[in-house]
Amino acid sequence: MRNGILIFCCWISTFCAFAQTTTGKYVAFLACPIVRDSKAMPCWLAEKDGTTYYLGQQGSSASAFYPPQLKHQVLVEGFIQDPQKTSCGGIVIDPIVISVMPELDVACTTLLPAEDGLEPPAPVPFPKYEPFSDDTKEFQILYDFDSDYLTLHKTRIAGEAVRVAKIQQPARIEIHAYRGKSKLSDGTILEEKLAMVHRRAEKMFDVFVGLDISKEKIKVIEHEKALGGKGEGDYLNRKLVIKLYK
Amino acid sequence: MLVSSLAFLLSISEKKDLSWIEPSSDQVLPELITYPNSYGKLEILNADGPVQLKNHPFFEPIGSNGRACVSCHQPSNAMSVSVENLQKRWEETHGKDPVFAAVDGSNNPKLPQELKSSHSLLLNRGLFRIGLSWPPKPDNGVPVKPEFTIEVVSDPTGANSDPDFGLKGKEPSISVYRRPRVVGNMKYVMSPDPRFNIKTGTLAVTDPETGLVVGMNMMADSRHYTQKAQAIDAYHGHLQGHTFLTPSEQKQIVDFENQLYLAQSHDPWGSPLVENGKPEGLGAKAMKEGKVHVLANNNRDPIFHWFKTWENPETMSKDLTKEQKEFRQSVARGNDIFMFRPFWINDVTHINSIGLANPLRRTCSTCHNGQMTAQDIAPGWVDLGTTNYPNWTENRIFNQKTDLPVFKCTCSPSADPHPYLGRVVYTTDPGRALISGKCKDIGSIVMQQFRGLAARAPYFANGSAKNLMEVVDYYDRRFNMKLADQEKKDLVNFLSSL
Ligand code: HEC
Ligand code: HEC
Repeated sequence: MRNGILIFCCWISTFCAFAQTTTGKYVAFLACPIVRDSKAMPCWLAEKDGTTYYLGQQGSSASAFYPPQLKHQVLVEGFIQDPQKTSCGGIVIDPIVISVMPELDVACTTLLPAEDGLEPPAPVPFPKYEPFSDDTKEFQILYDFDSDYLTLHKTRIAGEAVRVAKIQQPARIEIHAYRGKSKLSDGTILEEKLAMVHRRAEKMFDVFVGLDISKEKIKVIEHEKALGGKGEGDYLNRKLVIKLYK
Repeated sequence: MLVSSLAFLLSISEKKDLSWIEPSSDQVLPELITYPNSYGKLEILNADGPVQLKNHPFFEPIGSNGRACVSCHQPSNAMSVSVENLQKRWEETHGKDPVFAAVDGSNNPKLPQELKSSHSLLLNRGLFRIGLSWPPKPDNGVPVKPEFTIEVVSDPTGANSDPDFGLKGKEPSISVYRRPRVVGNMKYVMSPDPRFNIKTGTLAVTDPETGLVVGMNMMADSRHYTQKAQAIDAYHGHLQGHTFLTPSEQKQIVDFENQLYLAQSHDPWGSPLVENGKPEGLGAKAMKEGKVHVLANNNRDPIFHWFKTWENPETMSKDLTKEQKEFRQSVARGNDIFMFRPFWINDVTHINSIGLANPLRRTCSTCHNGQMTAQDIAPGWVDLGTTNYPNWTENRIFNQKTDLPVFKCTCSPSADPHPYLGRVVYTTDPGRALISGKCKDIGSIVMQQFRGLAARAPYFANGSAKNLMEVVDYYDRRFNMKLADQEKKDLVNFLSSL
């Protein structure tokens, strides 16, 4: 059981680091993202209360970091290890989890030109995809705030859960869907929409049934109460857990 | 005697000219045939050998309105149909050719059909009316509850306000106007992606008959999963067939489509583009032999392979003139721009919105990423902006009037909004959203293959770009690319050689 979760956590290296890190200063805030061009890759920043932070750089759908989007605010949750450490002109937040807020904010439009000396670090290597062990009993998928989108990384976990379920032939499969709260550094609490619980659950149910797992075996449990809201680790509550029972 | 030999002579001359194939023609489409166009020549390759048109369901008027599939998918126009050819046809037949049939070959079937103005969208922009039921009735039969409502803001054709088939009609449907798409090189178009659709994060759709994953790159809105389903729908719709396509007709149609390859083959001076197998991405033979489903937006094995021999006049055939050599160099530069010249891609649903950043500094080939066709290898619906205000192609500097209907889509507060336009979107064609019912899909159009472009102007699903330069100009404006005049010409020459 434990094992399954651990394997998941290390599925994507940033999350792995995040789950185990307690060092550094936790920051969480909502802001307009800023994109800065550079000779290498464009980098993504955000400014909050006069301080500019470095979030990450442009990559591809296989990258561990998915950058923010202009026209949307970004929710940033992460740790500052060293306020002197900067990239592209912003204080590095690492590990970091970001969410693109779904509603439009047309005020978020800042695109800065490249400037000498302001470059992103070498790209973080793509996460490695080790298959889950065939006796894994529990799979976890984490979501962006107010999102049910299964990115490439998340569909891989879903695909693995189905693969393993087909091997184990469990008597029962439980899909637990949750939603979370996020406490910002200024004390504000953001709460995910109630509808997310159902949407996350329904999407995963459709994946299982679409991949020929019998409907009758699947039990969907929607946990409506928003969890977390304490700061560090809040991102872990925007989740879905798949449990296989003999 | 005289009459019959005249008929014989006529039939010979008819046999020679395959530039407009009429339904029920007694001709043979040879294994390899070339057709002239303003950029050179197009080549059609029937890999299974010559095709007898007589009694072939793609070429016979098997419905009720005298049309055949070929009426709108002409080999001379790369299996689409060009405005030039349609206008010529109108003059020759005084508008009587079945391609102009009221049902969808006119702006609105209830307009007086003898008037040219009633067919203006077809004659000016090459557009056929596509009537789609609203709410949607998808191929897999799973009902869709739309996340948005549609109001008609402007209805220049009257079709969307019609009391019978308009949006509030007895059988509610929405009329959008679209170009026919190339029927050929289908192994690329139909090639499936992995089990999950990377753009939606949901399972890819499967063919209900075989259970196999389908590619979802056919039609501007991906509404049909298989060529068979598409053919059946075309039979009832475009051909107004009242009975059914027999299984053997279905098979004949799909088999014909699957053995047909096409590409531009000759330059504007009449010389073949491909010599000694180089450049390896050009010509119909390369289409036949190419591998399918190769993600090629990279410098290992690019979309149309390499144009190395064309980069330098020294490595070109001695027989070519200076002009021809310059043309080839320009094509090679155009390919480089297409592959490697970065610009900011912004506010494009299903590209910027899938974790790739908005804006994203990348290239044409980011979206047009599939080898040999430049279609997206993932399901290719993308809101480039062609149909949605304010980036739509209908912008004229001084007025915002459009020949196309304009719809106002209002999304429910509980739906995910369109990522860059929010919950109220003005559009001339909601595209994929007409099938998925999703607010975020409004204006997403499935990109089509780049092959045979020279033979089938105008471009974009809404026929808004009269020529390839207008396509390039749209991108220059849309993404503020700041292309120099020479770069634009290079891109046009490149596109014209595909
Ligand atoms: C009246 C004109 C017309 C006729 C007749 C017609 N089509 Fe089409 N065809 C179109 C249009 C327009 C589209 C694009 C529709 C869209 O994107 O929504 C299309 C698209 C297609 C496509 C999709 C190609 C791609 O890559 O997306 C295929 C295949 C096709 N037609 C086959 C046929 C067959 C088979 C027939 C005869 C049974 C037929 N068509 C008859 C106009 C026509
Ligand atoms: C953000 C994704 C994206 C980028 C980047 C992009 N395209 Fe497109 N392209 C599309 C889509 C989507 C369509 C279909 C739009 C429509 O028909 O309304 C399209 C259509 C086209 C067509 C028309 C094909 C036809 O048969 O009508 C051509 C040609 C084309 N693109 C060339 C280019 C060139 C050249 C570039 C770079 C300057 C480029 N594209 C960059 C998405 C993109």
